[in-house]
Amino acid sequence: MTTDIHTVAADEVVPAAPVAPAGTARARPLRLAIVAGLIAFLLFGLPPLLDSYWMLVVTGAAIYSMVALGLGLLIGRVGMVSLCQVVLAAVGAWVALRLSYATSLPFPVLVLCAGFVTAAIGTLIGLPALRLSGLYLALITLMAAGAITIVLRAVLFPNGGGGFFGNSAAGGASSRMPRPSLAQTDAAYFRYCVVVAILMFLLAAWHVRRKPGRAWAAIRHSQATAISAGVNTVLYKLWAFALASFMAGVAGGLLAASAGGVSVQQFPVETSVTLLAVVLMGGVYSLWGAVVAAFLLRILPALLDDWGVSTELLTILFGIGVLQVLMTAPGGLADQVPKDLAKLGRRIGRVFSRREAAA
Amino acid sequence: MPGLDDLKPFLVLGLALGGVFAMNGVGLVVLYRATGVLNLAYGAIATTGALISWSLLGGVNQWIAYAACVAFGGAVTLAYGLVFGPPFAARDPLVKATATIGLLLILLGVMLWVWPPSTTRTYILPTRLHYYEIADVRVNWTQILGMIFPVVVTAGTAVFLRVTKVGTAMRALADDREITAMLGVPVRRVEAAAWLGSGIVCGISGVLLGDLVGLDIVGVTFLIIPALAAALIGRLHSLWVTLAAGFVIGIVQSCLTAFTRVHIGARPLADYRTITPFVLAIVALLFFARRRPLVRT
Repeated sequence: MTTDIHTVAADEVVPAAPVAPAGTARARPLRLAIVAGLIAFLLFGLPPLLDSYWMLVVTGAAIYSMVALGLGLLIGRVGMVSLCQVVLAAVGAWVALRLSYATSLPFPVLVLCAGFVTAAIGTLIGLPALRLSGLYLALITLMAAGAITIVLRAVLFPNGGGGFFGNSAAGGASSRMPRPSLAQTDAAYFRYCVVVAILMFLLAAWHVRRKPGRAWAAIRHSQATAISAGVNTVLYKLWAFALASFMAGVAGGLLAASAGGVSVQQFPVETSVTLLAVVLMGGVYSLWGAVVAAFLLRILPALLDDWGVSTELLTILFGIGVLQVLMTAPGGLADQVPKDLAKLGRRIGRVFSRREAAA
Repeated sequence: MPGLDDLKPFLVLGLALGGVFAMNGVGLVVLYRATGVLNLAYGAIATTGALISWSLLGGVNQWIAYAACVAFGGAVTLAYGLVFGPPFAARDPLVKATATIGLLLILLGVMLWVWPPSTTRTYILPTRLHYYEIADVRVNWTQILGMIFPVVVTAGTAVFLRVTKVGTAMRALADDREITAMLGVPVRRVEAAAWLGSGIVCGISGVLLGDLVGLDIVGVTFLIIPALAAALIGRLHSLWVTLAAGFVIGIVQSCLTAFTRVHIGARPLADYRTITPFVLAIVALLFFARRRPLVRT
């Protein structure tokens, strides 16, 4: 495997970032309080405020935060770009639906199975490009996205028909999986998705802070150095790809049971491209980036629709956002907004202190 | 299984479509070799150009309308290269390719905004009206152009890279940008030439695609995928392999349309035809990765 050293320089999509989030001892309780407050609001404060349409929107956002999280990890931690993340979520939905019609497994098991099968498929896609440069991986995933979309459009989601593909014309265009007994209502299902998303974020945080995170950082900075330091680069790159695919698969399983169910038209190739844009805009070095990305991808279009603004403007904005992030703001919104707010706060503070001095 | 006679019309369609894939693939490879940028917005630029032609067709002379598409391709690509080429010049190819996704999204948003997909748009090039009967198959001039143009473009580019001064400079750039600059080659001007050239090829393919496959915005934008597959099979380096790969992808994909009786699961094989580029690219990549890496660093 000596040739591996020559294959890739660190494919940094955005310049170097801190390996672990730098949290000072003083800031940590504050941060924990913010996270706890946000979670409490999502679980208990938000659901009563929303009607069924907005419930569907925020449930979608909670689910897509996992899809974005996986891609953010790949880009920010390992320096690999995948363009098939959304399509892998569709694969997860397919697997979950297929198993749900074929077996009577409990809901969490179905979702987990969807995650694992998707992880296996994602790994298979990444495998041929693994020894090549990051550009080739991105291209292969783009083509895989196109191919899987075509297969899905041909076989459709299972809706109770016979055979392996389990689709019959009588079943209607969209398929929906039965929800778990403890989350039958829309509000309860939203809470369920939020809890699963929290678990995924914890999984991501664990990976980033532990051995895989250190290995990924080594690979991102220099593959040659990582190899010479004894890092199994093939294993950890595959692991990252499998983890991202797993998250997409779990998200897909959850999507299959959301209100309205899933149809193949929901997962066009361009969504994978848009997802890449919002993940970059959200910020790939912070787990918060995934939350911002989900907001940009699911909630903002619904808001604009509500205000009567064309959502195509958003696509243009995302395009500009990608260029801006890659050129000047590698940390994305998750990094930029707190900094800018702090700067603004200092400026306001200075104005007030000047006034006091004048008085 | 369909017989040869059933396949003939699809062969013609495939040659024409494959030709456009090949042309786009060659355009991608030339730009990539000179600047290190894999322009993923290629399909989006071609589609926007074709839509502009469509809008102009009602008002102005049709040749001006089609020229506008070519001019748009050249202008947008050149403008992108001038503005975003230098800031990304020293970055990884992956970053450069990702940045073109920004351009793709901007153009996609503009297209969906200005030309909402609710109405179907088509135009017929005057070349489609003239046709020959070759072995009982009708071949029109748009299709002939689709087959001949890519070969001309490839041959022209190959000669250009070999004999002209700018071509030599481009090959030097492909090797090492810093050293080329140190030798006194006006790097930015040479890069601009590469951007402009690939943009014009892109505009021409836009004109042809509008006639060959129609103006479905998202569909044509993502016709970049087969072109990319061709470029990948050519290892993002060889013009002639890319050309051949483009034709093969087009022909295989088109001929699969005839396989309506062979089934995979409940569906005929024909429904899966657009997977062709992916499968061929994967096979090629596996073959390349078998022994040695593709990319020097």
